Amino acid sequence: MDPPGRQQELPLPFPEFSGDLPLLPVRMVNEYMYCPRLAYLEWVQAEWAESGDTVEGRYSHRRVDQPQGDLPPPGAGSEETIHARSITLSSNSLGLIAKLDLVEGEGDIVTPVDYKRGKRPHVPRGAYDPERVQLCAQGLILRDHGYRCDEGVLYFAASRERVRVSFDDELIRLTENAISGLRLVAAGGQLPPPLVDSPKCPRCSLNGICLPDEINFFKGADLAPRPLFVAHDEALPVYVQAHHAKVSKKGETLEIHVDDKKVTTARLIHVSQLALSGNVYLTTPTLHELMKRGIPVTWQSFGGWFMGHTVGTGHKNVELRTAQYRASFDDQICLHLAKGLVEAKIRNSRTLLRRNWKSDEDKSILISSLQRDVRHCIRCHGIEELLGVEGAAASRYFSAFGHLLRPADNETLSFNFTRRNRRPPTDPVNALLSYAYSLLARLWTVTLSAVGFDPYRGFYHQPRYGRPALALDLMEPFRPLIADSCVLQAINNGEVRPSDFIQVAGSVNLNSDGRKRFIGAFERRLGHEITHPLLGYRISYRRLIELQSRLLGRFLLGDLPDYPNFITR
Amino acid sequence: MDHRLYIVAYDISDQRRWRRLFKLMNGYGEWLQLSVFQCRLSRKQHAELIALIDGILHHQEDHVILLDLGPAENVDPHVVSLGKRFEKVQHAPIIV
Repeated sequence: MDPPGRQQELPLPFPEFSGDLPLLPVRMVNEYMYCPRLAYLEWVQAEWAESGDTVEGRYSHRRVDQPQGDLPPPGAGSEETIHARSITLSSNSLGLIAKLDLVEGEGDIVTPVDYKRGKRPHVPRGAYDPERVQLCAQGLILRDHGYRCDEGVLYFAASRERVRVSFDDELIRLTENAISGLRLVAAGGQLPPPLVDSPKCPRCSLNGICLPDEINFFKGADLAPRPLFVAHDEALPVYVQAHHAKVSKKGETLEIHVDDKKVTTARLIHVSQLALSGNVYLTTPTLHELMKRGIPVTWQSFGGWFMGHTVGTGHKNVELRTAQYRASFDDQICLHLAKGLVEAKIRNSRTLLRRNWKSDEDKSILISSLQRDVRHCIRCHGIEELLGVEGAAASRYFSAFGHLLRPADNETLSFNFTRRNRRPPTDPVNALLSYAYSLLARLWTVTLSAVGFDPYRGFYHQPRYGRPALALDLMEPFRPLIADSCVLQAINNGEVRPSDFIQVAGSVNLNSDGRKRFIGAFERRLGHEITHPLLGYRISYRRLIELQSRLLGRFLLGDLPDYPNFITR
Repeated sequence: MDHRLYIVAYDISDQRRWRRLFKLMNGYGEWLQLSVFQCRLSRKQHAELIALIDGILHHQEDHVILLDLGPAENVDPHVVSLGKRFEKVQHAPIIV
């Protein structure tokens, strides 16, 4: 359709642009003008998060998104008025593709109209630059197709106002700069730095992925991070562990039946993950719906052994996984990360002992030897040595764990803890600890894969068949904080009683009722809010786990100089 | 958490549309009475719900209202409830 000789007039923005590279969506040019990092995250790393604004935006686009009318080719000679909705056009010379909401015009003279959700902003040029540039890029594509296009219109749906934008030389230059700027950033393969204390961040739907304030803070900016990340805890998990339970879908809800009797319903919008233990039956349509919504399903044996999880097509951020693998083959990075994680674990277990000490015995020797372990750990030269230090610290810690429990009453199975054992645990406290660790490992596995990692490739734990090594790595500092303290709480508050256990052939396990109450205590612990010792805002453990995962990603992608471990005060 | 508490009430003139809306509303809130639901929604879910209701509704014949009762965590709505008890919709993990 291009008239011959026309392409030479438009300078190629980037010489190496070839058919191999994907066309840039014009919307990304808008995002690039708004924030280069946002464009990179959305375009190169394929990250996306929905927010109230994006949903409302789509809603106000519902009419223009339905294709209607058509755009006659230029030079057709017809003088009819053009009114075409939802037209997709691309231009190879510009390297752009755009979906034009509405094209109006007559003959060869056309005007692109772009719908915007909000009200008209009261700024000098009638609109902000990102929107003007996006519109101008659409105009350039139309020109490239041979139409005459000198201005465009922004339609603001909330105030029903039209703002004319004329494509003067200055705007065209700005647009061309933005297009080549975006392509440069995309080809560079380096995530642009976040904006500093920008008013644009709070309403940006990707702020929980980008972490602008946290990144700037850890890089040494003198600003207290705004709690942008904290806001989004919308959904909670659903656990099904009852015998003969069935999970099915009805409309927008999940229905859970036990022995053909409906027990409860859960609204899908409030479900963050579905955790099934034992022989629970899940119907295929339900699984399809869960995958479509990106809600993971985790499968555990009845005893709590984590068998795997089901997600849809998985996370699209390949760059992150590549960075993870690359780092996992580098012994120096592995050792550095492992040292930090073990150090944080020992420090956190030390704090737990100090805070929850219930017996009359003196604890100062223990506390100082744990402190020595921390120093020893910092000096380690290899993973093997580190394993030794961790083992020594763990045995010290567990030798004293019994002092944190309320004194036992005289029942057959009491909560006496002498030493840590597992596979299978031989007393109630060990059974609780094992169960809590499996819950925590499941949570980390789900969170890490939701953030885009491969949970099976770790830095400290070596990959072994079916073992989520990265999840085990990162959960180390959180064992005392979440799992152990939840066990203590459940025992000391009398939420789990000695009668809640069954003992078979030397191994002890929770019964169904006790497990239900223990999961309740575990979830309550996750909902518990703490003040982040470094960032200074209040955050629940559930969100903290996601935050730490994202910070690890930021470190691996070279955004942060170091992975900030979580060490409680 | 930024959930807000809403009362959604609707009048739908057509049985088919009424059933579709009832099914949808069950996914967003708790059934309170005939054509009245109690919902706990984030801003995103609120926007979603409006878009979905709009897709079902006939604007000439039907009517839906969403009443905002305030932040779900700490609002204590002043409700006179005769007969059954009015209880605020809860947000908690489900363990079966």
